[in-house]
This record gives sequence, C-alpha cells and structure tokens, in this order.
Amino acid sequence: MWQAIQSRETGRTRPNSFSNQLKSRRISSLQLSNRKDFVSPHRGSVNSLQVDLTEGRYLLSGASDGSAAVFDTQRATDSEASGLIAKHKCVFSVDKGHEHGHKFAVSSAVWYPIDTGLFVTGSFDHLIKVWDTNTAQAVVDFKMPGKVYRTAMSSLAMSHTLIAAGTEDVQVRLCDIASGAFSHTLSGHRDGVMSVEWSTSSEWVLYTGGCDGAIRFWDIRRAGCFRVLDQSVTQLGVRPPILKHTAVNNKVSAEKSSSGGKNRLKTPQSKHTGSQNMKGSSSVKASVEKSRQKRLHPGMLSTLDRATAHYGAVTGLKATNDGMYLLSAGSDSRIKLWDTQSGCNTLLNFETGRLQTNKAIQLATSDDPALVFVPCMKTVNAFGMWSGRTTLMFRGHYESVNTCCFNSTDQELYTSGADRQILVWSPGGSMEDDMVQDEEVAEDKDNWSD
Amino acid sequence: MKNITNPPETSAGGKKRRREEEEVGCSHAANDDQCFSLQDELTYSDTSVALRMMRAQFPRIDQASVPPFILQSQLYSSVNDRTQVDRELELLRRDKVVRVFKLNTGQDDHAVIFLDDYLNQVDRIVKRMEGKKQNDTDIFKWFKEHVVDSKLEPSIGHHELCSLLSLGGKVKDEHITLLINAGLLTRQLIDPDMYWFAIPNIGKLWKALLQGRKELLSLLKRKRHKEMFMAELEKKRLRYSPLDMRFHLRDLIGSRHLKTFQTTSGLVVRVSTD
Repeated sequence: MWQAIQSRETGRTRPNSFSNQLKSRRISSLQLSNRKDFVSPHRGSVNSLQVDLTEGRYLLSGASDGSAAVFDTQRATDSEASGLIAKHKCVFSVDKGHEHGHKFAVSSAVWYPIDTGLFVTGSFDHLIKVWDTNTAQAVVDFKMPGKVYRTAMSSLAMSHTLIAAGTEDVQVRLCDIASGAFSHTLSGHRDGVMSVEWSTSSEWVLYTGGCDGAIRFWDIRRAGCFRVLDQSVTQLGVRPPILKHTAVNNKVSAEKSSSGGKNRLKTPQSKHTGSQNMKGSSSVKASVEKSRQKRLHPGMLSTLDRATAHYGAVTGLKATNDGMYLLSAGSDSRIKLWDTQSGCNTLLNFETGRLQTNKAIQLATSDDPALVFVPCMKTVNAFGMWSGRTTLMFRGHYESVNTCCFNSTDQELYTSGADRQILVWSPGGSMEDDMVQDEEVAEDKDNWSD
Repeated sequence: MKNITNPPETSAGGKKRRREEEEVGCSHAANDDQCFSLQDELTYSDTSVALRMMRAQFPRIDQASVPPFILQSQLYSSVNDRTQVDRELELLRRDKVVRVFKLNTGQDDHAVIFLDDYLNQVDRIVKRMEGKKQNDTDIFKWFKEHVVDSKLEPSIGHHELCSLLSLGGKVKDEHITLLINAGLLTRQLIDPDMYWFAIPNIGKLWKALLQGRKELLSLLKRKRHKEMFMAELEKKRLRYSPLDMRFHLRDLIGSRHLKTFQTTSGLVVRVSTD
C-alpha cells in the first residue's frame, strides 16, 4: 500500500491507475459490513433501492408496506459499541399513515436525476407519485391503468423530464413532470412490462423488458420500437467481428427486424414485400398477411415481431455505464449480455442457479473489476462481466434478495430483500480503518482496561 | 422390465484431476472389461470432444429407436467454462454439425444431436410413414431439403414454415399435420404461433429424463447429509429411467441442482442448497 503511494508520488504509476487499483482491491474484498448498519423502518420486503446520482450520498428505498425512506449513507445518526458500529436511521419516511402515502406496495422508488429535491415512487395502487424531498409532500400524481412494476428516469436527459413507467398493462407510458400529463404511449409488448431502463448513451432511447420475454428498444422521438432482441441472433464475441456479422444475417426471414444495423422503418416493410416476391408464394395466407401489414402504421410493424429474449418473463434490465451493453435477467434463470449496437446476444453464460421468477429484481454493475451483482434467491452473486464466472458470493439475508445497488463513490454494495433488511457490504481490511476515521465519533481514550 | 445395458464401448477414459484440462480420451487404451467411473472422466477440454465422448456413452435402449442426444446441461458439467461451451456450440450449430432442440420439460432444457443422426432418424420416420401407405410423403422431402437446411434455430413461425415448405411445392394444412404426427414438429405453451422442432420418438426418453431426475434427487435428499460418494452412486440403478446414472448425474451437475467436491476418498455429490 505504501509502496503504491510512493510510486504514485514519483510518477511511476499514473493517478488514474492508482485509484483504479485501490478501487478494485476494495471491491474484491467486499464483505458484510461490521462498521455500518441501516436501521430499516420498513414492515414489508424492500423492493427498490437507489443511491442518488448527484452526490452518491442518499439512499432511497421503497417497500411492500407502502413506505419509502431516505437514508444518509455517509453520516450516521448514532453509533453503538463505543463508536465502532455506525447506525444509520432513515432521514425521513413516507408510509401509509402519511396523508399522501401509497395504499399498497411501493414497487419502485427513484431519485429525480438532476438533484435530490424530488423523488418518484411507483406503487401497486396504480399511482405514480412525485414527492418533494424537503417537505415530504406528494407534488404530482399520475394514475396508471394497472399496477406499476417499475419507473425510471433518464440520467442523461437534458431536454426532457419523462418518467418511464412499466405496468401490468401492455403499454409503456411516459409521464411528463413538467406538464403533469402522459406524453407517450409505447405499444408493442404482448404482456405486462416488468422492467424499464433508460439508455446510458442516449437520452432518447428506452429499453423495456416484458413478461412475454421480449426486450424492446424504443426511440421516443419516433413511433414504434426500433429493435426487438432475439436470443437466437448471436455474436461470438463481445464486439461483433465485421465479416462474420454479415454472414450471420444472411438468413431469409420474413419478420425478423433484429438483424443488426437496420434501423430504418422503411426497411422492414420492404423486406416483407421483397421476401414475398422471392418466395413466389401466392397462397391466401401471404396476401392476407400483406394486407394486414398495409393496414398497420409503419411504427406498429414491430408488434408482428414475436422474437423473445428469454424463455420466461424479463425480470431485470441493467445497462452498463458505457452504454455499450445491456444485461437482462429472466425468469428462466438466465442472465444474458446483449450488445446494444448490434442487438446480438453475446452468448456469455453467467453461472446462475435459480433466480426469482415472480418479482422484478434489480441488478448492479461495477466498472473497474467489471462485475455484475445479481440477487440469486438468498445470496447475492458477483459475476465477472466478461467471463461469466462467480467471483464473490454474499450470504447474509434470511429471505430472498430483491435488489442490489452499488455505490461506486464508496465502493459499497447495498442489498435488500424480503427479510425487510437493507444490508451494507463494504470493503473489509483494517488498512482502511487507519486512513478513514469518522470524526463525529468521539473516542473515549480513558475507557480501557487490561 | 427395463434392460439397462452398459454400452460395451464404455469409452476410453482418460485420467482426470477435477477441474483440470483433459487430454483427448481416445489416446488411452480402452479396457472393455473395466467400467471407467464418472469421477475419473468428468471434464473434457473441448465441447466437440465432450459431444463425441458423450454420444459414444449414450445408453443403448432397444425398445426406442432414438438417436443419441446430449443435453446442454451435460455439456456444462463436462467443460469448465460455460461461455466457451455456448460459443463453441454456436459455431458447431452454424457449421451444421449439430442441431439444438428445445425440450418441452418446463425448464430450460436443450438437446444437442449430431445432424447425421437426426437426418437418419427423419429417414426412418419417412420409411415408417410410407409403410403405413400415407400419400403426400413429399412433404418430408421438402422439410428436409428446405426447412432443416436453412432454419438453424430450434423454433419456426407458422408463416415462415409455410413459405419455406412452399419452395418445394404447394403446401396445405394437412401437410403440417403430417409433420406434427410424425413427431418432427410440436407446439409448446410458450407461444401459440410457433412450431418447435422436435426429435421423433423422444417421448419415452423424455419421460425417463424427468422421472430419473426426480428419483436421483430424492435418493440423495433422503440421506442424512444429502450427499453420497460418486463412486457409490454410480453403481446404483434407477428404477424409473432406462437412461443410465451417468447421464442423469452429468445433467444435474450441469444444471446446478447437485454440486461436487473433492474429498480424500474421492468425489462426493451433494444436493445444492442455494
């Protein structure tokens, strides 16, 4: 450790690589924290966790008893065991007793990405509420046609403040906070939408995963989805090789719109008519199909594409921070890594056992030792993103784990589950204790004994 | 009663240390009278080596004429790196050496069959249908020529199937019924509009697979510590499944229902609790 600091001083190691080395060492030593604890006020399983995007300091959690709470991860409210364990109680919480509180379970709680003045909760009582953090009042309500499974706001958005909501209804709705109305309705899924995620490379692109097993990419500036991920369209590496890519897509398929690179809406239509002519089939079915397609708006052509990304429902989506890859978890207990540019399955096999099938799960990724944190029933497994092998296993919850949230500023992992606890996994190691001391914990130096 | 015959060519096993790379087993001499145990040859170095070895070890069942198939979970337990298995399998599939089928077990089971075995099976079915004096057996020829050759995925949509078959001639609904009756196509609960390729005559073995899995898991769960030595486990016979114990063991280890670990007296198999 000291040698590393010295080599940074003398210039042998660059500052970036020094901090990356330190971060990866910390991350590989993650274990159940014996220094920090969140006192969870929730009386039901905790469904959603998010650390705020501006400071990385406040943790927002939403639970099945209709309550949402905010915790400060850096400053403890009180401490136990003579200053060794920091207890973090919630800064405030809004629950069923609150006059504007949700009546049923809160399935998703996310921060407003610009600052921590607002947060958005979605609940099974068909409502999405936008709350003002300082006064703990609900400012705007949106009424949805079904139970809200997931809400998401884009962290890159410069020109819109849209909340994407996935509900048990087949349509994904975008709610606008500024106007208080729905701005978009995205149709294409054939069953409820369990996971929505905004792209980390473009503020206009939304990824949704449905209970029908399909993952669709939507560009909200135009109609219809521009890509449906198909698990049989594969590429053999993390980046598509240039020559092989065109060879794969030589398949003559009438309705696959996921062969890479073809984003134009006109092309699917010409492919349909082109392939009809090529086959020369004059049976009744083909002409019926043609007329069916003609009656559809070009943006709705994607509803005919029934490709599935998973053999069950898609329960979790996570885009990597560089925007190039998308991770999806399904109720067929598989996790797949997709290349967002080509829309191909990279065939990475993550060694998961069973995953929760009836509830949405939240995955977390870390950048430097590229890891994926996945809640697998009662444990949280960390897989290497490019190898698929299990690197770390976190056992600590008593019941099944629902969410993982990775705080990259502190290299801490927060997980929560059906046992109503929010657990903190922090880097072990006593060297850090020497370097970082909590100033507000006053040590009684006279309190010693032989 | 079920005749469980250990195939006489119980393949040339190589010596193996658990989780190490394995030389190609064929280089060692095959001792026919000695039955090589599973713990000695659990992993192979390469997917195609693993496929060929497991095809050779497929139990010969006289009543059912089924081509030897390998489950994808067996491949996962036989090669160390799962991603490597997936990618090599994809390459083999694209090169039309093997074909992958999705089995209708409710879990994510895929069966891998060498293309020659599959085509032989299709021919056998065609002969049987011809023997029953069915007309319209051209549909099988069109199926082989146009559909099997060009569609490499395990499923096919209705419109695509019709358009591919009509490359051979005029297609009617009765033709598709014939294909389903022959066992070459099925439908599954996932999607009413999709047909899934199927292995003809798989029914008996499919049932055997499910029952054998259940029996093996319950056998281990009844033990006090839910574990057993692999050498001992291999000697047992399954009552409900003509597929041999090694088949089921590889399958369950690969699908992570069982886990193995090394002890001083050999490999132990334990029911996985995660």
